[in-house]
Amino acid sequence: MKTAKKEPMALQTLLMNILVTTVLMVIATIAAQAFFHYSRNSTSVAMIYVLTVMLIARYTTGYVPGIFASLVGVVCVNYVFTYPYMDLNFTLDGYPVTFVGMMVVSGVTSGLTTRTKYQSEMLREREKMLMEAEKETMRANLLRAVSHDLRTPLTSIIGMAQTYQENYALFTEEEKLEMVRGIREDADWLLNMVENLLSVTRIRMGDTRVNTSPELLEEVVAGAVQRLHKRLPEAVVHVRVPDEVLMVPMDPVLISQVIINLLENSVYHSGSTEPIDLIVEKHPDGVEFHIRDYGKGIPSDRLNTIFDGGGIEVNKSGDSHKGMGIGLTICKTIVAAHRGEIWVLNRDKGAEFVFTLPIEGELSEKKHTEQKPEGEYKE
Amino acid sequence: MNKQVVLSIEDERNIGNYIETILMSNGYKTLKAMNGMSGLSLCTSHHPDLILLDLGLPDVDGMEVLERIRGFSNVPIIVISARTQEREKVEALDKGADDYITKPFGSEELLARIRTALRHSNQVRSSAGTEKQYSCDELMIDFDKRLVTLAGEDIHLTQIEYKLVSLLAKNAGKVLTYDYILKEIWGPYADTDNQILRVNMANIRRKIEKNPAEPHYIYTEIGVGYRMKEG
Repeated sequence: MKTAKKEPMALQTLLMNILVTTVLMVIATIAAQAFFHYSRNSTSVAMIYVLTVMLIARYTTGYVPGIFASLVGVVCVNYVFTYPYMDLNFTLDGYPVTFVGMMVVSGVTSGLTTRTKYQSEMLREREKMLMEAEKETMRANLLRAVSHDLRTPLTSIIGMAQTYQENYALFTEEEKLEMVRGIREDADWLLNMVENLLSVTRIRMGDTRVNTSPELLEEVVAGAVQRLHKRLPEAVVHVRVPDEVLMVPMDPVLISQVIINLLENSVYHSGSTEPIDLIVEKHPDGVEFHIRDYGKGIPSDRLNTIFDGGGIEVNKSGDSHKGMGIGLTICKTIVAAHRGEIWVLNRDKGAEFVFTLPIEGELSEKKHTEQKPEGEYKE
Repeated sequence: MNKQVVLSIEDERNIGNYIETILMSNGYKTLKAMNGMSGLSLCTSHHPDLILLDLGLPDVDGMEVLERIRGFSNVPIIVISARTQEREKVEALDKGADDYITKPFGSEELLARIRTALRHSNQVRSSAGTEKQYSCDELMIDFDKRLVTLAGEDIHLTQIEYKLVSLLAKNAGKVLTYDYILKEIWGPYADTDNQILRVNMANIRRKIEKNPAEPHYIYTEIGVGYRMKEG
């Protein structure tokens, strides 16, 4: 059993220890008195003290209070509650055992408590390091995705503009319009990418947290869909939010960006024009956003890496600029910065992206320490 | 016909030309300034009917130009801002701008905002500026009778909710900041926490919109305020 480093006990901790010990001992004694008064049974009294010793060891720091409590406990039991009453007599059988028993209980519990505290310290340290490493990887992936995802539409725009300029007289009106439409599309896409990148700078670089404010869920969702329609007016999205009025702490610009990215992703990659469902559900510790399309789903070999910028795909039809790369990576960064989670799964028809946002400020520890598989999927 | 004059104060040449083209092909006369100082002098010498003001000017802070103009004129001003400058937008609106438009913008949006701003300023100028009614699609608000109906059915709103809806309706098409609404409805000493406003808006939405997450009449401009659809 590892023992923690002996740190000088801070005054505050010391006072806490004294307080806890005293209070619990007093309660125990009162309880014992009452108990004894009604039942005249000294074994139960001893049990009360053992329980108290355990509690004291659990809620104080270090071994001292527990051991001290054991001592006091044994003396009390002996002095007050056993024959001969109001007198110390250690010759009767069983005392050493009781005393040792209490000491063991106290020692073990103190040990456990210290160990748990130490372990959670270590865990927190490790978590921090993991986050740093994750950030670095994400940044590297991002840069890679950026150079590809931004350069491709630009190349296409320059190409089309050049062709238009040089062969102006040779094209029909329709062809010219088509080229300009293509330029517009690529430019829109570029703009979206740039906005995504700008979003990332809103995340405080120091500790990957964001400035959250309580926002009305329905407004953020409505706003995101509105902005989507500016760029993709023909996209049909069915929105559903819970009936109750929900305020969720978030950075609204960033979360809108996540919603828009996921919706756009569905529009461009599902290969289907069926309406996309955007459904928000309330769960006890947060809200869940589901973006569901009814298209061809995600190829299963991509499910696990799709958020890591590894999803730069060259679409068969040649629309290579509409890579999923940056958008999804950024979604993951933003959701993680909100202490939420994001994942994707394939349904029988189409794919479903889900991300969560905690409603309390910090996500409860249990969710964050288990590594949620980033690409659980059903066949 | 007397064409209305729009002054655009915009330092980027491409955007300036773009604005000029759109405006001229839609029956407006245009004036162009490439920086704040010349913009101010054009404003005082030509008295335009509306000003398009870019917040990111090279010589003088757009906000200062705004304040200076507001110092002597009530001319409708629409500020042009970049996407992520929410606080600037709100500041501009609170300092007297009538509306804002975000780069990049389409011609439809620009023209619509200009129309709305001109309409409201005309109303304010003419003494018969108070409308009796707001009507848009299925929603109808009678300001005299203080009645709100949706597809013919009466909608029951609380006092505050009615005040909110009628304020937005009287300014339909124009964005109203959270602060402005708070002060108008709850008074100048209202707490600046706009939660109470948000909750009221959420309740209103549940009464008049089919789907509160797909609003038809009242749009939320995140970080800025609310805008009601023009009738």
